[in-house]
Amino acid sequence: MSWRPANGLRSWLIQRISAVYLASYLIAVVVAISICFPSTYSQWHGWIAHPVINVATAIFFISLMFHAWVGIRDVVLDYVSPLVIRFILLVFIGAGLLSMGIWSIRILFSVAL
Amino acid sequence: MKISIYRFDPESDQAPKMQDYELHEVNDEMMLLDALTLIKEQDETLSFRRSCGEGVCGSDAVNINGRNGLACITPLKSLKEPVEVRPLPGLPVIRDLIVDMTQFFNQYRAVKPYLIVHEPATEVERKQSPEDRDKLDGYYECILCGACSTACPSFWWNPDKFRGPAALLQAWRFLADSRDQATSERLEELDGPYRLFRCHTIMNCVDVCPKGLNPTKAIHNIKQLMLKHMI
Repeated sequence: MSWRPANGLRSWLIQRISAVYLASYLIAVVVAISICFPSTYSQWHGWIAHPVINVATAIFFISLMFHAWVGIRDVVLDYVSPLVIRFILLVFIGAGLLSMGIWSIRILFSVAL
Repeated sequence: MKISIYRFDPESDQAPKMQDYELHEVNDEMMLLDALTLIKEQDETLSFRRSCGEGVCGSDAVNINGRNGLACITPLKSLKEPVEVRPLPGLPVIRDLIVDMTQFFNQYRAVKPYLIVHEPATEVERKQSPEDRDKLDGYYECILCGACSTACPSFWWNPDKFRGPAALLQAWRFLADSRDQATSERLEELDGPYRLFRCHTIMNCVDVCPKGLNPTKAIHNIKQLMLKHMI
């Protein structure tokens, strides 16, 4: 299938795959925390600094950003018809999500190092 | 029985209004279309579409107590009084219960609802096995009444870009046909954020279809096929 700037199938697929990851991660984290609850700051720090948890959490935030982008883009495409307002909204939402994503990854990396 | 009907004549009315009618000679056998016909005898200015009167032609789809359906197969006794009859939502009203279905049929035409064959014409008819024919069941029976597409919020917001459940059901009907040879072209045409993917599985279409069809399933099948083609 040819590449399009706003591909429908690809967005739909990203939304579903990210949803599966988000749900799996949340279940895994709840299970992990309930088995061994990190009760002090240093335990929390050690837990999140563990390379597997750190990378899995980073993927969680990346998935969350993509998932939110497709979802919010859908709402904007449905309800905001004027092209200028739509464009401005999408730019702000995209920039907001991107900066939040980068911010969370930076925090995770700073903990890991 | 009290029936309240949406009235609008663009030549004389500034805005639409609801007009109440009282019917006395009502029996259990009557359908809503019978009631509309009796009301038209009282007030001949009332306009609505009708043809076969038995749920086959799809002409008399209207919004009945907030839900789209065919007047000719909706029993009066199943309706809560006062019965409110309005034109199909989301489409421009021409007069009273008659809507302009141009947008609906434009979307229908866009999915090329006919067999496309690239091979040269054969001397005999193109045959299909009974199993392949069975794959069309539940998809070919659409009567194009428009009840589903005009009940779909995604179609209300983007009637010019989103194909709508009726047209997508037809798209699948031809994608599922073993004799059709334009699968890639059809899928290519439906990709993009609007034509197919404005569907958010709200399923109003399934809820209102007077023929009991399932456009949501057809849309799901198209997505699955797109995925298969991508992989």
